Amino acid sequence: MIGRFRELHEQRHDRARALKRQGTKIIASFYGLAPKELVRAAGMLPVQLVEDRDSRYEAKSGLLPYLCGMSKNLAGQIASNVLDYVDGVMVSTVCDTNRHLLDIWVHQRAFPNLWLVRAPTKNDEGALDYFANELRRLALELGAVSGTRVTDDGLRESIALFNENRSLFRRFYDARPTAGVSAEDTVYVFASALTTPVEEHNALMRELIGSLSPGVPGPDPKLMLSGLNIPMAVDVIRMAEKYGATVVTDDFTHNARYGSTEVPADGDPFRALARGYLRAVPAPGMYSFEDRAVGIRDTMERAGARGLIYLIQLYCDAYAFEYAILKERFDRWKLPHLRLEAEATPGSIEQLNVRVQSFVESLL
Amino acid sequence: MAELDLKAIQKRVSAGASYRKMVAAAEAGAPICVASAGIPNEVMHAMGVYPIYPESLAAISAGIGKAEPFFDESRTRGLSSTVCSYTRCGLGICWTGTTPFGPIPPPNIAITDVNVCSLHLTWWAYLEDHFTLPTFYMDMASTDDPGAPEYIDYYENQIREMVAFVERTTACRLDMDRLRESVRSSDLAGDFWRKMMELRRHRPSPMSFRTLAGQILPLVTSLGDQDTADFYEALYHQYLEGAKEGKTPAQGGEKYRLIWNGIPIWHHLQVINYFEEKGANFVWEPYTSLNWGNKTRTGRLDLDRPFHTLAEKYTNVLNNKPIARRFEYFDQAIRDYEVDGLVMFSNRSCRPMSIGQHELVQLITERHDLPVLIIEGDQADPEGFSWADARTRVDGFIEVLEGRRK
Repeated sequence: MIGRFRELHEQRHDRARALKRQGTKIIASFYGLAPKELVRAAGMLPVQLVEDRDSRYEAKSGLLPYLCGMSKNLAGQIASNVLDYVDGVMVSTVCDTNRHLLDIWVHQRAFPNLWLVRAPTKNDEGALDYFANELRRLALELGAVSGTRVTDDGLRESIALFNENRSLFRRFYDARPTAGVSAEDTVYVFASALTTPVEEHNALMRELIGSLSPGVPGPDPKLMLSGLNIPMAVDVIRMAEKYGATVVTDDFTHNARYGSTEVPADGDPFRALARGYLRAVPAPGMYSFEDRAVGIRDTMERAGARGLIYLIQLYCDAYAFEYAILKERFDRWKLPHLRLEAEATPGSIEQLNVRVQSFVESLL
Repeated sequence: MAELDLKAIQKRVSAGASYRKMVAAAEAGAPICVASAGIPNEVMHAMGVYPIYPESLAAISAGIGKAEPFFDESRTRGLSSTVCSYTRCGLGICWTGTTPFGPIPPPNIAITDVNVCSLHLTWWAYLEDHFTLPTFYMDMASTDDPGAPEYIDYYENQIREMVAFVERTTACRLDMDRLRESVRSSDLAGDFWRKMMELRRHRPSPMSFRTLAGQILPLVTSLGDQDTADFYEALYHQYLEGAKEGKTPAQGGEKYRLIWNGIPIWHHLQVINYFEEKGANFVWEPYTSLNWGNKTRTGRLDLDRPFHTLAEKYTNVLNNKPIARRFEYFDQAIRDYEVDGLVMFSNRSCRPMSIGQHELVQLITERHDLPVLIIEGDQADPEGFSWADARTRVDGFIEVLEGRRK
């Protein structure tokens, strides 16, 4: 059944269009720090904008050459009408590029509705008050688009569904290193969660976890992959496997990391949602570096990974900077790691072969 | 303006003088703060905290060709060269503990804004982590509406929390009279700067953008200091005289009046001189007219509400406004300053300033029949920048301007 997740990912545009034809409105987030719980509570489908490997998109993006491939890819998808089903986009600031693409989209009137999620960077009481009010504002505006008012009970139900998804991810990642699930299949397990209705994904995850049984371990050395761009990650997984390694766990904003903290379920649901998002999802600069580095080290230990590949998309300064900071700890801990920095293009990825091969051999 | 001796004051507010003041203050026991450009330094001045500004030091280092060791240090430490050059150079300064003027005293605290540029957050989090520095983050939520009252109120509270942070981590205490005095000096400095910018409407404009790029430094780093206010007052009067006398940096007279969009190219400031050699003069820049100074609705600081007025000023960040609003500033400036063309610096280090530039140009050229030159490069890192190519492009642009005069 694991192939079902890949299908969901690959058919995401067609499935969204089909839901739209049935009357469901689709609200996209860019990137993962937008509160999707609000969208579902307003009776709409939250999806995350996801990069796709297609060189035509970057050519059509019209963006500056020194912006990351993900932003260029998404801009190209918009220019190619791939995202014609999207009724609105919520932009949550992760970096200057994603924040200011919003300005271009507003200028272009690229989507019927556009919101900037006005999130503070702290999580003290003042920041929580501010963000809870911001979430109420967003809820009102989302409700105006869908015609469904976001109620406290509706938001609690939505939070519970996404919390279940997070919890299922944790269980899946705990089981995965010994369950014989390939790294590439795992990518699609979490990639599909970004665009599939949460109830449907939860059901599939329960089924998947129930079907897992101890499998044949892959060959050594075992690796962890940290990255952001999904097609690039798949390329690097294949490359590592080609040289005899097994990627036994990974670290993307939206897999185990996303599942690291559940949104509190008690009290005012808007304030709970604010607490669940502010400094709670490991993202560069918005999370303790010590916790982030320890989280990677512990995940590697649990999964039996000997080495880490830290994959940076060229011009992604957030992750490029984060690497330099984490590196100090990795070096101190003598944690074997390889930084790869590349464009999200086949030619650029191809040039990583020698480095991946050498890294794998160094761990044998 | 005979009372103020510009040369004497200039010696007190120069980058080197600021450095020496800081060293002396540290030796006398004053706390040193690693600060980002864009936090209310009027408050630090009032409290007796001496700031080190890595971004300003990066710009100065690049401007005098002494940034390379800091970039080398960044490379050694694993920082990709795609990361902002101010960040790489600024971290190089912190890692090596030195500047082009000499060693820096060990800092005691760090304070940053978080919404002028996203990297500030990660950068100062790194300083907090690596140097175990007590660090305060002047939180500003992401916004596309920086004038919203609740947004300004939130930041006003951050300023109060900043005061509490400084009082908690140092022996400094806030005296409200000193704060009012600091805000008063800042207001005067900002007001004289505004008057200077307005002098550039004069034909010819008496100022060179290259000179202003150096003269703006105290407005970024030394607000609250009476010397800063005196400096801009004296400078204003000097330029006023220059305007009356018809002075211009443009050689052979001011033939073309231009806008520069972006941070100066610190490592090749001679680009500006090259325009001036060709008779072209920059008369307006968002960098000088909108990014610094008294950025309140009235153009003055409200001395009766020092926290609120500073909140209004420091939350007014141009790049957090929609492109349509940014265009309005250009539209107005093109009319007010009788502009003949625009030069857009596409700066790979500064995404907030560069993203949306293409769309801005679209709006400008739809309304105004003006030529636009786009120069690509980096604000502080000369890697990949070709002076010969830049000159060729300027030559071509000047030919276009000449062709339009005929």
